[in-house]
Amino acid sequence: MLDRESTFADAEIIKTLQTKFVSVAIDQAYQRRQKDTEGDFYRGIAKDSPRGDGSNGGTTQGLYIATPDGKYLGYTNHRSPERIKKFIAESLAKFKPTNVDSIKPEKIDRRYHPVLPKGGLVVRVQARVLDGYEPTDNKWQKIFQSSLSRDNLWLTNKEHESIVNGVIPAKVQRRIARFHLVDNTRGEPPMWRDDEIKSINMKLENGKLTGNASLSTRDGSRTFDCDFYGYVKTSDGMITRFDVIALGKFFGEGTYTKNAPKGKFPLGISFTLADGKDVADPIPPQASRGWLDGYLKN
Amino acid sequence: MQHRLSFYRPVWFFFVVAIVVQSANATDELNEEKFQQLHQSLQTSADEPWRQIPWEISLLNAQNSAAKSQKPIFIWAMDGHPLGCT
Repeated sequence: MLDRESTFADAEIIKTLQTKFVSVAIDQAYQRRQKDTEGDFYRGIAKDSPRGDGSNGGTTQGLYIATPDGKYLGYTNHRSPERIKKFIAESLAKFKPTNVDSIKPEKIDRRYHPVLPKGGLVVRVQARVLDGYEPTDNKWQKIFQSSLSRDNLWLTNKEHESIVNGVIPAKVQRRIARFHLVDNTRGEPPMWRDDEIKSINMKLENGKLTGNASLSTRDGSRTFDCDFYGYVKTSDGMITRFDVIALGKFFGEGTYTKNAPKGKFPLGISFTLADGKDVADPIPPQASRGWLDGYLKN
Repeated sequence: MQHRLSFYRPVWFFFVVAIVVQSANATDELNEEKFQQLHQSLQTSADEPWRQIPWEISLLNAQNSAAKSQKPIFIWAMDGHPLGCT
């Protein structure tokens, strides 16, 4: 989210990417592990960068520029717009347009190409810390403090049918609790373990959803207690509206979500049926990475 | 005795008001009005600048498009999806 609010909010960078590049956003934790055509293509670019191809198990995150046939042109892990402009200019100077064949996906590593189950549904999940931060002059911290996170909840066809019939299946409730009642507003959050769900209760009556949940790590270093409120409407056997809020008090942080407010702080999470029009609608749930069966099992 | 009760009356009044207010806050935390306001405020805005960039989310699709247009590929690679939680 820092990049979205800084690098990719710069008018000159936006114009350059619109006109001179094909831009792609990826979770490289997939590509650096994929044993397939796309993984080979990605690692072939990354191996010539300071990051390497990730074969040492480390992250390869950052910004890359490459030719269409996969030749590395440049890399940076900075986000200051001025440094990014320099990086773009230097990489463009090395680029010579040539005829290149499109690469066909001859091999696909299914583990890293999760597909929404047929007849399933995508629900957008967005969260924000509503209060509790101490004032700061640090521009990056300011971005984190007001950021709205984004993830997707996936539901199977069977679960969709169950909700149409007025029942939120227990495993959907637990999936929501474990993977979507998280504070992901400052980065990749720790998910909850199954035994950290102390309680969850979601009730659907005449299209109105209410309930509550309580989560806590064993040592109490992270907790969340919230209420649910919202509406689920159906028509002709399909969910046509899924507008739900989880509102409660969160406590704690994770390795990659440091600088949470001190003490318990209010966290709001919205659930909204995706209509497929948003660029992030097709992105698999964060918790399904390399583990779709496990994600859906809960 | 009468005098002592009169002395404590403002203090009792304060506690009673505090309890009533606290109880009202707890029960009103998620009501219809709050739900409408909060649900709307927790939606992304379609006019965020980064959305003006036509992002691909498949690297091979990006390669295919770059080959066709003879443009370089700009890769935004993060831990967690850049258009999602990072």
